Amino acid sequence: MRVRTWLTPYVFVSPFFLVFAAFGVYPLIFALQLSFTRWRGAGEAVFVGLGNYSYLLSSPDFWASLGNSAVLWLLIVPVQVVAGLGAAVLLANAKLRLRGFFRVAFIAPFVTPLVAMAQVWIVVFDTDYGLVNYVLNLVGLPDVGWLTSTTWSKPTLALLFLWKTTGFAIIILLAGLQAVPGQVYEAAGLDGASRWRQFWSLTVPLVRRSIAFLVVVQTLAVFQMFAEPYVVTQGGPYGSTETAGLYLYDHISASDLGTGAANSFLLVLLVFGLSLGAVRLLRPKDGTS
Amino acid sequence: MSTPPIGRRGFLRGALGVGALAVAGCAPGGGGQAAPSRLAAPSATASAVKGEITIWNRSGDLFKVFDAAIAKFKQAYPGVTVNHQQVDIDAKLANTLISGTDVPDGSFWDDAKIGGQAEHLYDLTDLVAPYKDQTAPYKISVNTVDGKIYGVPWDLDPGLLWYRADILEDAGVDIAGIATYDDLLAASRTIKERNPASKPIHLDKNPFLSQLWLEMLANQQGTSLTDANGKLRLDSPEYQNIFAWIRQATGDGLVTHAPYLEPADVNTLDSGQQVFVPWAIWWSFAPQNLLKTTKGKWRAAPLPAWTPGGARSGAMGGSSFVIPAKAKNPELAWLLYEYLCFKDEGIQAVYGPNSVYPGGLSTSVPSYTPALDPAKPLFQPIEALGGQDLWKVATEAAATIPAAVPIPWWWAQSVDYLGNNVQRLIEGKMSPDDVIADSAKKIQRNLIDRG
Repeated sequence: MRVRTWLTPYVFVSPFFLVFAAFGVYPLIFALQLSFTRWRGAGEAVFVGLGNYSYLLSSPDFWASLGNSAVLWLLIVPVQVVAGLGAAVLLANAKLRLRGFFRVAFIAPFVTPLVAMAQVWIVVFDTDYGLVNYVLNLVGLPDVGWLTSTTWSKPTLALLFLWKTTGFAIIILLAGLQAVPGQVYEAAGLDGASRWRQFWSLTVPLVRRSIAFLVVVQTLAVFQMFAEPYVVTQGGPYGSTETAGLYLYDHISASDLGTGAANSFLLVLLVFGLSLGAVRLLRPKDGTS
Repeated sequence: MSTPPIGRRGFLRGALGVGALAVAGCAPGGGGQAAPSRLAAPSATASAVKGEITIWNRSGDLFKVFDAAIAKFKQAYPGVTVNHQQVDIDAKLANTLISGTDVPDGSFWDDAKIGGQAEHLYDLTDLVAPYKDQTAPYKISVNTVDGKIYGVPWDLDPGLLWYRADILEDAGVDIAGIATYDDLLAASRTIKERNPASKPIHLDKNPFLSQLWLEMLANQQGTSLTDANGKLRLDSPEYQNIFAWIRQATGDGLVTHAPYLEPADVNTLDSGQQVFVPWAIWWSFAPQNLLKTTKGKWRAAPLPAWTPGGARSGAMGGSSFVIPAKAKNPELAWLLYEYLCFKDEGIQAVYGPNSVYPGGLSTSVPSYTPALDPAKPLFQPIEALGGQDLWKVATEAAATIPAAVPIPWWWAQSVDYLGNNVQRLIEGKMSPDDVIADSAKKIQRNLIDRG
């Protein structure tokens, strides 16, 4: 009887823990073990200790992939925060005409399948037959290798990511803005604060948590970016769009599972550190977490 | 009988113990998968063989060709049901082999990728043995890992020199006189003198394809990226010849650097800017299906040789059929592939006239040499090549292809280094010595040393 009494709650919560153990804990432990081995998916795994980690940390390709992701982060996240906040402020304005249309227009790319959009990107930015170069030629400018030159491939990929995900950023920031009480602005207006001053001194601090959330989520997304370069550039030209996510995939697809697992744990540590830094940097000044 | 009480701590300790056992059980390779055994052929007669197999193939025209051929196989083996599926093999097969879930009974695959997954495949040595001596040595080599054959050799893709017959005639260049790669440069200079806008020789902009092309030129000289012991041969005289030739061609402005049959390539092929395309037989697809204004003006010849009297062709690409170690009906899959690759009726079904290629499949030739008789064409002269008998040119070229060594498991990954560096060489951003040194260093460190 005693067993049954105290066991009951465990029985009730056990379905969750069983599923979590099977699909969360088990793969994590498996991957961690894998990261200390050399294993190609068949036969016995060979224990190599920290060999995979030391290989990656001394590999220029690994650091280059992180560098590519870092440049993409710089091209994407600051732009997205600024543009997203601007768009959210406009969309929060009840007096804005066609507000519903603009909301749908901003969100539409976010819900459109990435692969379809990536194909459009390939066509529009084709060096020889793309629409963008056609327009440049019309005004007398030469062709640009948007997806075929190391200079332009990252900005072009960043533009695709921005186009695809800025709608998501707007949703997050708009939700933050709508949580700000209108009286705050009324009081500031009575005190003579200009619109610009209200934006800087009220809006930005009050949506700081939303901005922090957005930065963390998008940092995760950029450092795990895979589908965009996989479909559009396959990491080229010359590895200039080989993101951290794609580099990791290359190990897995080459059946170098141990190195792939080690790479994923290094990436987890990096993204965790970056996210923590972003949260600390953007923490509200009132000291609340 | 009363149940003995279990304390909360005891329960948690027990749970931890179960977890620890689970952790121990999830060690990679803990399943102790045995190395695949050699596959033996079924002993039953064709009419008595029964069962169902799932076969993966690439999508596109080739799928339709095989679909029609499989229909004929089913007539020969009425008890076998073939579930023929179009699959993105490059993206899915390797992962499927590793996961071991929903593994097909057989699959089409690039020769270059078989070596990397041999441990997941059936050893077909005994089954291929009766046909081995009559199969192109190159195909046996590339399907062999540690002395065992893991793929059923299907097609052979001889390299040919595709050329614009009309432009050569106008320039007074005789294709028969292009016997060496130096002759090819000389002919290109002659054409460029007549038309300065011409950049006669196609070199490809795709890193993977350019490395495949590089291997064709190496195979022509009887070598490949590694020797039989797996030692890199990038610094060998054969590769130095190729890189020096590329540099000469690009330095003299004789090269159109374009991605394989993409719009920029097709446009310059049709405009007359490109005159020579040293490429595999499968380029025949272009004049038949893509080129507009120059359709009927292209012809094929054997590749030039690297030295006078040297081999006039090398293999570029090629595919075979593999049977996964976890296939449910591997014997039946073997019967299908034996039919398609080694039986006259099956070879006819694949290469002969069919609804997809009314004149016959002309993008490769069989690797089974009894089918390679110049006098008994499997496909007809091609109108888009001005009625040229491509079968005769291709089979004669195929007969000169030297044997090779097994393709190393890391070949596809080496494109990140060698394929990219070949591109840099073509663009004038790297010297031949730099290509060799940089590629060799990275391939050795990142691939060979980690094998």
